[in-house]
Amino acid sequence: MTSDSLGGNLPDFPALLRREGLLGEPSSPASSPSLGKGSDFVPTQATTILAFKFSGGILVAGDRRATAGNTVVYDRADKVLEIDRHSIMAIAGVPATAWEMARVLEHSLQFFRRTQLQEMSVDGKVRALSKLLRDNFGFVIQGIGVVVPIFATYDFGGEGQARLYFYDPMGAQFEVTDYAVTGSGSPGVRGVLFYENRWGEKPLQKLREDDAVTIALRALDTAAEADTATGGVDRNARIFPLIKIISREGIRTLPEKQLAERFKRTVA
Amino acid sequence: MIEEPYRWVEAIANRREYIETQLAPGSPIAALSYRDGILFLTVGRARQKLFEIYDRIAMGAIGHPGDIERLRMAAIELASTEGFTRSAADVSLRRLAYYSLSPLLKTAFEQIYGAPFLARMIFAEVGATAAEDLFLRVEYDGAITANGPAAGATHPARFSVISGTNRGTGLMEEFLRREHDAGCTLNRAMKLALDAWSVGNLPAPEDGEAEMPAHETIARHRTEELKSASVEASVLERNGASAIRYRALTSEELKALLP
Repeated sequence: MTSDSLGGNLPDFPALLRREGLLGEPSSPASSPSLGKGSDFVPTQATTILAFKFSGGILVAGDRRATAGNTVVYDRADKVLEIDRHSIMAIAGVPATAWEMARVLEHSLQFFRRTQLQEMSVDGKVRALSKLLRDNFGFVIQGIGVVVPIFATYDFGGEGQARLYFYDPMGAQFEVTDYAVTGSGSPGVRGVLFYENRWGEKPLQKLREDDAVTIALRALDTAAEADTATGGVDRNARIFPLIKIISREGIRTLPEKQLAERFKRTVA
Repeated sequence: MIEEPYRWVEAIANRREYIETQLAPGSPIAALSYRDGILFLTVGRARQKLFEIYDRIAMGAIGHPGDIERLRMAAIELASTEGFTRSAADVSLRRLAYYSLSPLLKTAFEQIYGAPFLARMIFAEVGATAAEDLFLRVEYDGAITANGPAAGATHPARFSVISGTNRGTGLMEEFLRREHDAGCTLNRAMKLALDAWSVGNLPAPEDGEAEMPAHETIARHRTEELKSASVEASVLERNGASAIRYRALTSEELKALLP
């Protein structure tokens, strides 16, 4: 099926952008020379995001720090991005690439819904992000455009369930049953979530929202203890991680006040 | 032969007559402001006729499904690429219709060796207040009739309608000018839109006069038609947490809202 034989109604938004010259061609390893030995270019990096299933759906959290080498570039970065009414893409990696990728994905899903008059399936959405990562692989080889996202969504098929995926930089997707973590602070976070899930008071999937928030805050604070690229909770400037929750009803961003209160009671 | 000017005028007139005949049986569509947004309503038998174009823009159309599809795709592609490269705030119905769709339609209509678009469309863009709601009727020849802030009138109408015939359209507009108030509830807007649809859909009386049918006639026609056809309605919500304001009303909602 080519778009010509169907009069152009092919719901591929990146292809439309390329036709209009608004999006670069996919980068391949072969066409991507490395920066060279003398280069001192250090790309900005955003780090440490986590997501896990709990009794109210999926909690997705990200710290707010962006770094370039040893420099803190920004302390209020938003790495937990809403893609549609029930989907979130959280990013670790180079923000320039990741935000663009999220933008393309968001518009692709909307474009599909509007032109085809139906929602894209969860598998279709997961695959769309995989393809964007694959198209970016040349920049990964160059070492300047690595993106390692988490994708969380609500699947209305069957009885309905929350679905959670993480990716590798080449675009392979892995569905998880309990939790997903990526970014430089992920070893610490992974340890906390593994411990809580196995030996905590309750497994993650049984947690109430309040307790889920506590664990997310503790996990990011743990990561920040060892990893300078993770902001954790900034006690002086009172900057909290960004936490969003996906359920059947849609996406909710937890207000800073609620996080501050929870932090004071159970983390600090 | 066709190069001679009067032949060209004749060919255009023939083409206009042909298109009007094709559009005549189309089921009317009404779009009107209510307190919390804009309501689109039509009555149909099978085909979907109301569509989402972008976050705040919706479209309704009558005509050939193939042509409607091409125009709908063109509108979505234009809005989506603009929204992607700049921002959703830069997508505007006014620019979309006047700068892109209208020239496209006019060219197709006047190139008499090619096929024209068999379609008549109604677009609306929801604003922050009812005074900023924009309604456009776009014809197969590229002509645009605007209601809303761009229209320049001191008391612009907060609605727009299309139907298969000029007579139907005129009557529907007259009806809504008399009855419609942009501050009404969704319930009231549904009833008005359905009545306006009935006014536009009633066959012309034998003597051919374009006279406003009585309220009982409208109600009777509405009840009669709804036995064999169903209401299709969607809204552009004025206030919402999400950027996407378009929503098709579900059959449960319709059941609760219909008179």
